[in-house]
Amino acid sequence: MIAPYTQPMGARIVQIDRQVQAKVWLKGFERNAASAIRRAGLLGLADGIAAIAFAAGLALSVDAIAQLRGLAAIAPWLIVAALALAARGALAMATGVIGAEAAARTKAALRISLARAVFAGPRRPAAEAATALVEGVEAMDGHVARFLPTRLAAGVLPLILIAAAAVASPIAAAIMLGTLIPFILAMILTGTAAATEARAQFQALERLSALFLDRVRALPVVLAFQAEGATTAALTRSASNLAERTIRVLRVAFLSSAALEFFAALSVALVAVYCGFNLLRLLPFPVPEQLDLKRAFFVLALAPEVYAPMRRLAAGYHDRQAAEAAAASLSTFEAPAPKAAHIPLKIAPSLRFAGVEIRYPDTDAPAVRGFDLVAPAGSVTALVGASGAGKSSILNALLGLAPITAGAVSINDNPFTDLSSDIAWAGQSPLILPASIADNIALSRRDATRAEIAEAAGRAGLGPALAVRPGGLDFMLDERGSGLSGGERRRLSLARALLKPAPILLLDEPTANLDAEAEAAMVDAIRAAAQGRTTLIATHSEAVAALADQVIRL
Amino acid sequence: MTSPLDDLIRAQKRQRAGALRLAILSAVTVGAASTLLLGLSGWFIVASAIAGGAGLAAAHAFNVLLPSAGIRLLAILRTAARYGERLSGHAAALRALAAIRPAVFQSLAAAPASESLTLSRGEASARLVQDVDAIETRFVRLSAPWNAAAGLGSGLAVTLLAGWIPTLIILAAAGLAMLSAQGLARRFSAPARAAIQARTGALKDSVAALVSASAELRAYGLADWAGETLNARATALDAARRDAARAQGFIVAAQAVIAGVTVAAAIACAAPAGPALAALAGLAAVMSLDALTSLANAFDQDGGARQARERLDAILRHRPRPALPIASSATPLRLLDNTLVAGDRLAITGPSGCGKTTAVETLLGLREAVSPAGREAFAWLPQDAGLVAGTVADNLRLASPKASDADLWAALEEACLADRIRAAPEGLATYVGDDGERLSGGERRRLALARAYLRDAPWLLLDEPTEGLDPATETQVVARLDARLKRTGQGLILVSHRSAPVAICPKVLRMDGKEKGPATKSPSLVPTP
Repeated sequence: MIAPYTQPMGARIVQIDRQVQAKVWLKGFERNAASAIRRAGLLGLADGIAAIAFAAGLALSVDAIAQLRGLAAIAPWLIVAALALAARGALAMATGVIGAEAAARTKAALRISLARAVFAGPRRPAAEAATALVEGVEAMDGHVARFLPTRLAAGVLPLILIAAAAVASPIAAAIMLGTLIPFILAMILTGTAAATEARAQFQALERLSALFLDRVRALPVVLAFQAEGATTAALTRSASNLAERTIRVLRVAFLSSAALEFFAALSVALVAVYCGFNLLRLLPFPVPEQLDLKRAFFVLALAPEVYAPMRRLAAGYHDRQAAEAAAASLSTFEAPAPKAAHIPLKIAPSLRFAGVEIRYPDTDAPAVRGFDLVAPAGSVTALVGASGAGKSSILNALLGLAPITAGAVSINDNPFTDLSSDIAWAGQSPLILPASIADNIALSRRDATRAEIAEAAGRAGLGPALAVRPGGLDFMLDERGSGLSGGERRRLSLARALLKPAPILLLDEPTANLDAEAEAAMVDAIRAAAQGRTTLIATHSEAVAALADQVIRL
Repeated sequence: MTSPLDDLIRAQKRQRAGALRLAILSAVTVGAASTLLLGLSGWFIVASAIAGGAGLAAAHAFNVLLPSAGIRLLAILRTAARYGERLSGHAAALRALAAIRPAVFQSLAAAPASESLTLSRGEASARLVQDVDAIETRFVRLSAPWNAAAGLGSGLAVTLLAGWIPTLIILAAAGLAMLSAQGLARRFSAPARAAIQARTGALKDSVAALVSASAELRAYGLADWAGETLNARATALDAARRDAARAQGFIVAAQAVIAGVTVAAAIACAAPAGPALAALAGLAAVMSLDALTSLANAFDQDGGARQARERLDAILRHRPRPALPIASSATPLRLLDNTLVAGDRLAITGPSGCGKTTAVETLLGLREAVSPAGREAFAWLPQDAGLVAGTVADNLRLASPKASDADLWAALEEACLADRIRAAPEGLATYVGDDGERLSGGERRRLALARAYLRDAPWLLLDEPTEGLDPATETQVVARLDARLKRTGQGLILVSHRSAPVAICPKVLRMDGKEKGPATKSPSLVPTP
């Protein structure tokens, strides 16, 4: 990862830095896929050998016909040609499958490192994180599975094919080599011109998708204001504008691929005409070689293949563009800083917030401003206030999920460091896995014994819920992660928190949406859980606030 | 049964007929030129060799100009036609999609609230983005059969010079190639491509569940576990991708085997006609079958398009309804056992989660399976402000598309936001970001309030209008609201737990915790079926 760039240098420099960062990131990513891609690339080379065999089979069979030899002499060469073509099909299939497998492997490694960045590194907005983990990773699929193997083949294959042509006709091979240079130049020139436009286009497309999704999200408002017609009309305008712009880009992009095709066709024509005149002995200049039919035909059949790998590369360029666009975002995900030697807290610490401000990036106003709190060791503090007042942000700040932009937090009067390992957390919508209740609880401590899990479940008040379910702790939660009521889910979450021997307990709205009876029962479980821990509870509920040693109103 | 999507596509095809005709004409030219180019080149070489071998006189008698000019002409023609085909085909497709996507949105808006408003972000993106993209192939590949037919047709025509038998062999092989591509695509590609779409959706749901549980994952040090869990989920997706690659490989391999056998057979059968025509037959066989590749690709891609069509049809069957005009006078209203007449002011209070917002949304028909009449009577400020990504003016004009700038400023003034917007360099054109993220909570709320003021409805329906405002601003907002109600005679239904706005309402309804809304749904790693 590149060192963070300096902010005051201006937005333009930041943008260039980002492009560099994305490029470096993509290079590193490609290195991880290198060995698998090399295998797919080798198959591409084998395809080149098969192409040579096909051209040879074709040339020699036509030559045999020209020499009026019998079918027995022709047949072997025809069989060579047929087998070579079949082999090319099989190789294409193998290349596709190997590419897909390489993509699967590299994507899996990418997911692991991204998950580490998202769930242990610096905080990222949820939507960005989710997009990176699905769309970002999947954008690499075509890049690894198709583009990179093609690129490898495009680099080597033309030279191998030209070498094969040189065996039959050095001059035809020289013509191919000569036309290859303007071909590559045209590819680079048109490629870079089109790429800049295409990148802008790619972003515009993403923005349009985002616009549609935004209007779907805002659909309640659109409906309530009866603005369906006006919104549809506005969307149609944006979509048409983008379509017209895209068509302008395509005009250039297709022109560049037409230029490639034109060069390829012209080169083939040049080879054909040279061979024809050479065979007719009508060349206006002396050449050191005299072709015969089989050589000329071989060279002609091989000529289009010389340019094919590069044309395939140009055709697959959109996979590359998708990867580049994704890399711009993926490269900004930073791996978590190596954990400083953190000595786990043995007993409940005191917590102090002094003038804490929490301000999320790209917002005009802080979510929390000038927040002060002293929570003595082992105390229970309730944070109450309207939704949006910043209660959850304060809890999240202790987990590094909310940025502290001013003020200070101290633990036992020491400055705040990464506390995650000292924190147990229970929220209003716990993560439910399609697994047994025991496995769901043990998420907070994977090595917990069965007895410890059972004890945590009991202390969280899950006893009655387990008693009525077949298998108790082994009861499998169903497909929707339900099978538990809202109250039971909170208890499960609390049991998770109890299982982890952490001296700080954070509870985020532990009783939201519970009826009065369920809430009262939950309050008892919370009181039990809070024992011996420094506890912060964000809540709307007066009943929960009543069990706290101090209540902070936000 | 006709599908609404097919109707839409048909209408678009009619509208883009010119471009599509050009694409088809170009495709025919490409197909024919490609086949003829290679056939002619092969014939030229062999005929040259024979003439050259027969001596200098024969070589000079051989007309070199016509075939070599023909080769160059065909090369240029093919390049130009391919350009025309791709450009006009893609242009028609892009313009058609630009019309179809908003149509899907419009139908979604016309769907019952229980269907349209429960669509998750992932599902919405799957329908409006991926599914519509998937039907793009139906336009782009419209010219593929023509290209194939022209390539095959000209291949057969030149092979006829070499005799009937090679011609029939190529024709039979082409039929076999198409049947095998279709069969393989149906058997292998279609299920794999459908699985890719479904499993991408499932993976998205898993990711959303994990991301929303970030706090738990951090507290319990589960970052690596989360990555492994995602990979376990993604295994199915990657397996589907591999299946799709293999299916495509099957099709390519089958075409290659057929082509190999056909070339050999065509040359062998054309051998009696001489080497030049045998070469021509062999190369024509290669090109004829090569011309079918784009059609075979189309079969391969169709699996995904078919599923997309079914899902889009499910949305498109909702026909847009004409909007009713805003009600000019208030009819009496029944809400939670209270009857309200024009100009009444009712405040609803109660603990969070007791169903206040649900009551309001039910009134607006945002909760029911069937859309009720009545939206025309309300101007609403939703609890979450509900801003759209766009400018200040975009948001305000949602309520009143024809409002002048002066009207917008007046509404902002009444919502106590005019000074803030005036101070911004872009004024009404200030971009507010996704969901208004560039504004503070209080500013978002006041912008949404101004938007409600712009709608000239008999009832104002304000859900927590002063949440997140400091006391001074709150006092000002409430005072201006009070003055506005007195001036316009609008009725007010207010949901709030704050005393300042409740104070201007003579009627107060306190809801207790008995009427519960549904419990918050837990994030789950498994998608709902």
